[in-house]
Amino acid sequence: MIPLTNFLVLSALLFGIGFYGVLARRSAILILISVEIMLAAVAINFIAFAAFRDPKGFSGLVFALFVIAVAAAEVGLALGIVLRLFRERRTANVDAANTLKW
Amino acid sequence: MDHVWILPAIPAAIFILVALFGRLMPRQGDFLVIIGGLTLVGLVFSMFPGFQHAYHDGHFAPNGTNVFAFDWVNIGQGFFIIPFSTYVDAITMVMLPVVTIVALMVMIYSVSYMHGEPRYFWYYAVLSLFVAAMLTLVLSGNLIQLYLAWEGVGLASFLLIGFYWERQSAAEAAKKAFITTRIGDVGLLIGIILLWRATGTFDIQSIIAAAKSGAIDHTYLTVAMLFLFGGAIGKSAQFPLHVWLPDAMEGPTPVSALIHAATMVVAGVYLVARFSPVYAEVLIARDFIFYTGLLTAVMAGTMGLVANDIKRVLAYSTVSQLGFMFVALGTGAVGAAMFHLFTHAFFKALLFLGSGSVIHATHAQEVEQLGGLRKKMPWTAATFIIGSLALAGIPIFAGFWSKDEIVAATLEGAPVWTFVTLLATAFLTAVYSTRLVLLTFFGEPKDHHAYDHAHESPLIIIAPLALLATLATVAGFFALDQVGQALGFVGGIGQLVYLEHAHAFTEPDWPLASLATVVALAGIGVGVAFWHGDARRAVTARQWAPDLHALLVNRYYMDKLYQGIIDHAILGLAGLVAWFDKRIVNETGVDGGAQTIGYFGYRLKFLQTGRIPNYALGMAVGMVAIAIIAFSSQG
Amino acid sequence: MTGGLVSLLVMGPIFVALIALYMMSRITGGEVIFYLASTVILGGALGAVLLPNLVHSSLSLIATLMGVAAIYLMLLSEFLALVQILVYGGGVIILVIFGLMLTNAQDDPVVMDGSQKPFAFGVGALISGLFVAAAVMAHWGDAEATLIPFTTFGERLFRDFSLPIIIVAFLLDIAFTGALVNARRAESAASEEAAK
Repeated sequence: MIPLTNFLVLSALLFGIGFYGVLARRSAILILISVEIMLAAVAINFIAFAAFRDPKGFSGLVFALFVIAVAAAEVGLALGIVLRLFRERRTANVDAANTLKW
Repeated sequence: MDHVWILPAIPAAIFILVALFGRLMPRQGDFLVIIGGLTLVGLVFSMFPGFQHAYHDGHFAPNGTNVFAFDWVNIGQGFFIIPFSTYVDAITMVMLPVVTIVALMVMIYSVSYMHGEPRYFWYYAVLSLFVAAMLTLVLSGNLIQLYLAWEGVGLASFLLIGFYWERQSAAEAAKKAFITTRIGDVGLLIGIILLWRATGTFDIQSIIAAAKSGAIDHTYLTVAMLFLFGGAIGKSAQFPLHVWLPDAMEGPTPVSALIHAATMVVAGVYLVARFSPVYAEVLIARDFIFYTGLLTAVMAGTMGLVANDIKRVLAYSTVSQLGFMFVALGTGAVGAAMFHLFTHAFFKALLFLGSGSVIHATHAQEVEQLGGLRKKMPWTAATFIIGSLALAGIPIFAGFWSKDEIVAATLEGAPVWTFVTLLATAFLTAVYSTRLVLLTFFGEPKDHHAYDHAHESPLIIIAPLALLATLATVAGFFALDQVGQALGFVGGIGQLVYLEHAHAFTEPDWPLASLATVVALAGIGVGVAFWHGDARRAVTARQWAPDLHALLVNRYYMDKLYQGIIDHAILGLAGLVAWFDKRIVNETGVDGGAQTIGYFGYRLKFLQTGRIPNYALGMAVGMVAIAIIAFSSQG
Repeated sequence: MTGGLVSLLVMGPIFVALIALYMMSRITGGEVIFYLASTVILGGALGAVLLPNLVHSSLSLIATLMGVAAIYLMLLSEFLALVQILVYGGGVIILVIFGLMLTNAQDDPVVMDGSQKPFAFGVGALISGLFVAAAVMAHWGDAEATLIPFTTFGERLFRDFSLPIIIVAFLLDIAFTGALVNARRAESAASEEAAK
């Protein structure tokens, strides 16, 4: 069977890609998408550990479930904010939201 | 005896009551203060039988009873203990009647004198506070308690001198008195700390025992005792800190009688007397006291000759008499000093209250506006003359006995010229007291408006005067063995308050007393010759030596000197410090630091781009750094 | 279109290689599925963060999320795989695409990637490397993935974790209420602006 290491490596690569996306992208929507990728990586990690290391307690599964739920909440809320930003600035570019500077 | 703490506790409680609620009480609470004073006198006299008993058992004099109450402060397992303790011995037993009786007289007298004044209740409250502090002072068994009370009487004095604070001069005088005595108090505090450092205790009797056993280095002890005497110089208005007492006459006259004649100013005498066994060990310090007292006595006596304000004359006289007491202490004659303190308190309080009666009646206090008042105010005049005779040292009056003992004390062991100087000062005393009486009560009225206005004071003023006049007449008899025995003290006050190897007296030294009497009579004669009638000879004398007169009127230019020192040296130093504070501390230190921070802040603020990705990048870099550190530390 | 071409060019050979290896019995069926899913996931993720077109990015994300669901299946937790497909495929993606449409993003002429791209690449690579190194260097033993039955999971979820579930429910409630309020306020502000 496939060892745990493979899942972890997959999760790490996915996480790095998401991280890159969050930092590199300018559009708020795309940042949101990148965050989703990172959350998916985290969820893979949780489930892999639950399945391999903790089959009796499987708290990791519950955590993954919560991650999904919170991610859904986050997307909803973040989209509200993006919409607000768009209405204020006529753009979804996060660089436009720079009022809070020196 | 175990519960003498009640004595200061009563007036302290009354102070709080009257200060807080006096405004609301009938008669603004003065009766409360007077009842307190009366109680105190009663309590003090009720102490005497017990005191006599202890005295006769022989374990009392010169060692008193030290009543330890509790440790007020105890730091470091006995390293630093401030106890609350009382100590009663013969010196205390001389002070207690003086304080309580004079205080009571002044309280009664003030009912009329201060009638209708604004802040009447406050006057009585502070009077009570003063009594509380003064009693704490004389009953204190340790130096910290003594110091607290010492400052307490200073505070009361400040408040009462500045009682008419609406008057600029009164406010100035109060400040002057407080600050000048503070200079001495610093010396006292240094002395206390030095003594504590050497002995590790604040208990007065332990310190005395340590000093007598030679446990303290002699030079160290000398320095410490000189600092201690510094406190006495300030409080008892000795040269060079005597300048505050004449100005303190801005306060209400009864206050001058109580605080600035009878009680507070003798605190210094009390302090030195209390430590007299130690001063007997350090003769340099004792000689210093002796010469300070002598110089002060002469200077103040000469200044008293020319002063015009009736109260100022009395103030100079007080300074001079305090000098006498220090002369006695300087020769080791504690008994003589305490005896003079005792008698002086009564006749000087009498004189002050008498002058208050005059001022009350005429609303004038310059001798140039007075004169001929004996016809209008016979009682005041009679009591005032009794006081003056006592001050001048005429036999049977109190001053004669005590001054005689001081003069006799100088004869033993002090240079002859000091004896002569002291006699000369006694002569001066007689001259200026005669001058005061003549200018005030005899001759022609100089200011008819004031004279016509004058009237005899009411009974409530006359009664204390009469009582004090009686005391001023008989207080000297306590020196006599027979009187002492009748009261239960063998040998009178001279042996009651004494020190081993010191001059004890049971009856006057008759040849010396005759000499002193002759000197006093001569002084009176000279005074009469100069100032009787229209005082023509005095005016001639003034024209004959204008420089000397100017020197005396200007108080030896001491006040001008001090003012000059303050103006130039202290203000110059203050200017320097102000410059330092402004340029170095403020502009370089505070503003400079702020500007540096501000500059860096201005530079660094551009890190705040306001762009969320930048922040996220910073966060990410930090997170990666933490991860790397954690990973590498795991191996 | 180019994006699709690129992904086909990258992923096609991988698929072919995997199938060839399976045929030669060098790898098991499970491994084939794992690597296939991994390829889809990583390819989709790369597409999501690299593609310049917003819509293409979102569609790539779908691929990634479906791949993740497959991985969940491989880890023997069907329930979560279902949840993943339902919530993400059915909810989140719809929301994202709504957001795209509402912000009119296709016509937004801004450059998609910020100026800190190189730094982002460095940080992303570094953190991936760290995690990979940590995963590879650790000794995990030779434990096998174990099936967690539906019923056991459900029992545990609603017995031991009932309070967290309620809290999450409240969180969701609050989040969506907040999103609504936020959006409506924005609308009213916009209408006010329009009125002016």
